[in-house]
Amino acid sequence: MSRNVNPFEVAQAQFDKVAAILELDTPTRELLRTPQREYSFAIPVRMDDGKVRIFRGFRVQHNDARGPAKGGIRFHPHETLDTVRALAMWMTWKTAVVDIPLGGGKGGVICDPHHLSQREQEAICRGWVRQLARNVGPVQDVPAPDVMTSGQHMLWMLDEYEAIHGGHYPGFITGKPVGLGGSQGRTEATGYGVVFTIREALKLLDLRPENTRASVQGFGNVAQYAIRLYRQIGGTVVCVSSWDQGDQTSYSFRKSTGVDPDELVAITDRFGGIDKAKARDLGYEVLPGDAWLEQPVEILMPSAIENQVREDNVGKIHSAVRLIAEGANGPTTPAADAEIDKRGIFLVPDFLANAGGVTCSYFEQVQSNMNMYWVKDEVLGRLDATMTAAFHAVADVAKRRRLPMRDAAYVISISRVAQACHERGWV
Amino acid sequence: MSRPTEPSMDRVLHDLQERAKELACLYRVDAILARPGLSVEDLVRAVLAVVPSGWQFPDICLARAQVGPHLYEPEGFRATDWVQAAPITVRGQPMGRVEVYYTEPRPHGDEGPFLAEERRLLETIAERLGRVLAGRETAATSPAQEAEQSPGWRVVLEFLRQTDRVLLGRLGRKMINHLCWSGIDEAEELLRQISPGGGALEPIDENRPLPRASLVADAETTEAAFRIAPEHLPDEEILALIQGWIREDKTTFLKHAVERLDTPLPELVEALERFRQGGIEERDLSVATQLGLRASLVRRFLTDQLGFVNISKQVLEVNDFRELALRIVAPARSHGRIGGKSAGLFLAGKILERATGYEDLLGRIRIPRSWYIPADGILDFIAHNDLTEVHNRKYLDPDRIRLEYPHLVQLFKNSYFSSEILRGLAVVLDDLDGRPIIVRSSSLLEDRLGSAFSGKYKSLFLSNTGSKSERMSALTDAIAEVYASVFSPDPIEYRARHGFLDMHEEMGILIQEVVGRRIGSYFLPVFAGVGFSNNEFRWSARIQREDGLLRMVVGLGTRAVDRLADDYPILVAPGQPGLRVNQTADEATRYSPKYMDVINLETGSFESIDLRTFLAEHGEVIPLARQLVSIVDHDQLRRPTGLLDFRRDELVVTFEGLISETPFMPRMRALLRVLREQLETPVDIEFACDGEDIYLLQCRPQGATHGDAPVPIPRDLPRERVLFTANRYVSNGRVGDITHVVYVDPEAYGRLELARLRDVGRAVGRLNRTLPKRRFLLMGPGRWGSRGDVRLGVPVTYADISNAAVLIEIARLSGGYVPDLSFGTHFFQDLVESSIRYLPLYPDDPDVIFAEPFFSHSPNALADLLPEFADLADVVHVIDVRSVAEGFVLKVLMNGDLDQAVGVLGSPATVAEEETGALLAPQREAPDDHWRWRLRMAQRLAEQLDPIRFGVRALYLVGSAKNANAGPDSDIDLLVHLVPTEDGRGELEAWLEGWSRALAEANYLRTGVRREGLLDVHFVTDEDVARGRGVAAKIGAITDAARPLPTGGAGTR
Repeated sequence: MSRNVNPFEVAQAQFDKVAAILELDTPTRELLRTPQREYSFAIPVRMDDGKVRIFRGFRVQHNDARGPAKGGIRFHPHETLDTVRALAMWMTWKTAVVDIPLGGGKGGVICDPHHLSQREQEAICRGWVRQLARNVGPVQDVPAPDVMTSGQHMLWMLDEYEAIHGGHYPGFITGKPVGLGGSQGRTEATGYGVVFTIREALKLLDLRPENTRASVQGFGNVAQYAIRLYRQIGGTVVCVSSWDQGDQTSYSFRKSTGVDPDELVAITDRFGGIDKAKARDLGYEVLPGDAWLEQPVEILMPSAIENQVREDNVGKIHSAVRLIAEGANGPTTPAADAEIDKRGIFLVPDFLANAGGVTCSYFEQVQSNMNMYWVKDEVLGRLDATMTAAFHAVADVAKRRRLPMRDAAYVISISRVAQACHERGWV
Repeated sequence: MSRPTEPSMDRVLHDLQERAKELACLYRVDAILARPGLSVEDLVRAVLAVVPSGWQFPDICLARAQVGPHLYEPEGFRATDWVQAAPITVRGQPMGRVEVYYTEPRPHGDEGPFLAEERRLLETIAERLGRVLAGRETAATSPAQEAEQSPGWRVVLEFLRQTDRVLLGRLGRKMINHLCWSGIDEAEELLRQISPGGGALEPIDENRPLPRASLVADAETTEAAFRIAPEHLPDEEILALIQGWIREDKTTFLKHAVERLDTPLPELVEALERFRQGGIEERDLSVATQLGLRASLVRRFLTDQLGFVNISKQVLEVNDFRELALRIVAPARSHGRIGGKSAGLFLAGKILERATGYEDLLGRIRIPRSWYIPADGILDFIAHNDLTEVHNRKYLDPDRIRLEYPHLVQLFKNSYFSSEILRGLAVVLDDLDGRPIIVRSSSLLEDRLGSAFSGKYKSLFLSNTGSKSERMSALTDAIAEVYASVFSPDPIEYRARHGFLDMHEEMGILIQEVVGRRIGSYFLPVFAGVGFSNNEFRWSARIQREDGLLRMVVGLGTRAVDRLADDYPILVAPGQPGLRVNQTADEATRYSPKYMDVINLETGSFESIDLRTFLAEHGEVIPLARQLVSIVDHDQLRRPTGLLDFRRDELVVTFEGLISETPFMPRMRALLRVLREQLETPVDIEFACDGEDIYLLQCRPQGATHGDAPVPIPRDLPRERVLFTANRYVSNGRVGDITHVVYVDPEAYGRLELARLRDVGRAVGRLNRTLPKRRFLLMGPGRWGSRGDVRLGVPVTYADISNAAVLIEIARLSGGYVPDLSFGTHFFQDLVESSIRYLPLYPDDPDVIFAEPFFSHSPNALADLLPEFADLADVVHVIDVRSVAEGFVLKVLMNGDLDQAVGVLGSPATVAEEETGALLAPQREAPDDHWRWRLRMAQRLAEQLDPIRFGVRALYLVGSAKNANAGPDSDIDLLVHLVPTEDGRGELEAWLEGWSRALAEANYLRTGVRREGLLDVHFVTDEDVARGRGVAAKIGAITDAARPLPTGGAGTR
């Protein structure tokens, strides 16, 4: 691959831009531009056919000035160290923007689980932990599921870790099932987090939730819980869009009197695909996939996949729209971003809006370390407090520094990390 | 071989059987007498015990003997009036007697109820006993003397001299031949005497007929032969030879019965029955006799296909055919075979029964109870109902066949079966009482056309409930309907296309119990599926072709047999059960079965029902339910351990427990391996499990289905016409007539900015909607559809590639290593279900051709097709093969057997190719027919269209009808260029709608494909045309341009 698409260089360039805004000193820039620690190692695995294959594993701990490094472990056949470095850096900023006491890390193994049996995958997980058992842990570096890894992989890793250390350390890893060290509220966390930021943003825009309408792209887990909470605070969702597996296209479902998530969930598959015919029976208009964007509503919640609001369709956004909250990762392209900014629409960037997930992981780790688990309300209550505080901190910087919200979020997180490094006397 | 002057067949058979019994008895007596160390009492009692076996009615036969002062009687002996007796003499002095009694009256024979031969047998036994007792008395007889006195074979000969001189003559002849063959001169001399012409083995003059030689030696020669024999052969060998010949002689009746084509079935069954009761073990016959008999039986009952006969005769035993024959329901004069499906399954069943080394694995694999109606049953049915004219229907116009077919079905259903068939079916219904039934066709043509032909005829499920007369009526109805399907339009069209129309189709019927159990009001197998020896859809480089493939579903296997548009079966490779297609919870959920097929016992109908609802309602009582499902818990997929709540847990069918915790996979692997080895070809099977046992439902050679046969790869392809070759991970398949190649240049793609990579995916998606369906090939770097890092492969979803014919992933050497390819895992099952071929290319491998200049330097049509993506022209190349390669198209030939594939330029499908290719790819229609008709119809429509009345500026044909690749289900794409005023549009739409419906009906009559309308009309305006927007871009386009259709009155405008 050519050099100009190296993701680590992209991440570094982004950092450099913010470092300039913050006028960081050279040693701090040098420290934060590159990871603190990198591990690259071989994992020998005896395959089902008796042969041994060597897999390559990584762990990058970008920064742990604010707390133990936190980040996922990916199984990907084309994993590169530079990708892992970039992702580790982004984790540092992400934990910092919601102000939770964790750093940033990322790891992975070069492999494609599609070509591996369960037993072989277990051997890789255990091999990964054996190589790093002394360098990761509840007080050093806390892994989590990522691309092509699941709670099952985390449990194998946890078991190996505990076997090596001779005790129970559920705080070593997150993404565990409830009952085996997992946290309540994980299902709701991201969707609710989006709405906590919406609620706060509406206050700044001087809008009452009950006087607002919203249109949502996607009807997966994040969208479903966001819609529920938004209705609870008084808003009306008039349109949702969803991907239709059978037709291989998306449709928008509109009901001007308000979408009822319960009736829709009953006719929705696991991937957020809504049954068209049944939706019609329930009184929904079935419109083309892009129609969600054109609705006369105050709030848009793109909560499906990346690159959905682009240069070619950003013009279709209705003039009534005041607020966009990015429930998905990267739903808006840079060109569209500029247009949204120009039109004065308030944008809650993905980085902040969907940070409910990582916050809940933090809560899982806290509970695991205490070996005492909260009821769901307590988890969600704490999530509200964390998200609300994070939102206002970013909004405050945006206002004071006259920055777009996205830039402000980076500014505040990098600033927090830099400050921690300073105070520890590292730089 | 009729022998009119001889006694009736029955009589001969009976006599022979009796003779055999007598001889067998004599051998046994002889064996006892030769046994050393027995007391006189033991000796006599042992002889008495075997004596009855030589008599006609052994069950009611008892023997006793008086030897000196001692009377020896069996337990419970009772003297009656029906007695035969012979004296025992020792050196001329009476010593006692042997008596044989019948305890019940029997029909009159030669001597009371006894036969004359039985008297001679009794006398012989008494005489033998006397000699041995004499030997005991003197106690001085040397062993040598004894042997000389009475070697066993002499006794046998003596007995035959008295009872069966013809048999003796045949033995004499065989002995002479045997001695000649052993190189004994005296015997050759004897042979010359009995065979005029010198007994020479070579003909004297090849043009002169050989003189006839008697096959039965005369008494004198026979005696001479048996005089010579002991001089050269030991006694034991002579005895063994004689015993062997007599046994073989006993099978002659069966050979005659089987070889004669006019032996009616009941007589054949009787002959088989006699063979079984004759007490001959098949293995005691010479190998030649065994194989000869078996081959004849295979030809008679199963097929005359040489390959099949050859294999079957190694496996099937004579008694198997008796078992088979007893389950045949046939008209009295039937000589028919049971058809391909039945024969394949019967053979497979016996292979499994006899497989050695796999008993523990194959022990619980069974064959469902089956009954057969032979293939000539349909002729009997037609004749019985005076329907003979139906045979000529196949020569009618296809439209008429289709129109009249529903009537024909009713005609058949209202016809009658002969009383013999009805009697037979009554037995079937008793046997299958309380079980749903499937009535399947078992066509003779399947043997010739291969499995490609199967599936053309009907299979019908019956719930088999109600009173016996209701069940009978449902069964005869179903058989009549299956019979009618022989005359349905689709198979007739298929036969016509392959030159089999003039052959009478005879179709056997296979009546089988449906494997399964009742759950709620449904009847279903717990799971079912199809299996293949060769895996033609490998999702990982680690899976070998020989690892096989299973497609499994819950419920009836109908959903696994066909490729499904809206649902997915579970795929597993028995050789690599750990490597699952779907790894994450999301994948496993998306690609898992959502529906299941069942028989509803309350309505008596076949239904598809929702799987989740079924599990929630009945999960607790479904056997093996835990083995079938996994629980989805957030991102995690786990096997049920401990409590399982079928209502609340989010369940998804994965068969995980079945695959990883039970011997199911090793069992299926052994099953496929044994069948493949014994049948000497990869196989394609259907199976089902009732919750306890696994049943084999069908077995046929793999290939020919879904175009999965290996394609021959010509050795002499001109190098300049080869665009690429592959020699790793190749599956079988053939894709012809590719008109467009979409090539994503790996190097240029690697150089592209991150943000532009997604545009490449979007461009491919647009091309997918623009290029002719199933006539273009996609090639690109790395992993198509990669969800993680988009630089690893073009970011597309299945929707973006759904119309491609082939998907090719290119792995180029970079930085010293070749990256892993995805094997299409991101949408693997979608590729399988829609028959999109996958091929990995490794251009940097030695001995591989990759004509890179063709792909990167041919004129690129991207900018013309998609002007908005023109700036991607360095990366995405769209090559119009026909215009670049002088009218040639691209063909991809894939041969998994050789692990080789080639992409080669060639002429569009030729007739010769159709002939060979059609069998390989049966779903392909003759390409000419459908598009020509559509073009003609479009022209006709245009002629009728009044452009002024409707405000039409011009009319164009686009799409498959224009591109000459329309299939029977293709629509006709019209492009209507309207004048700016829209006045006429509503009226025009209504006018076109009328055409559309009429054409759809006409198309249905031609092809049997039902559609609501056949026209797909696109309206474009001046502005669209000026801007080249959407479909309007095709007007005057460089590639795939719209074809103008002259409208009515066009000349006057």
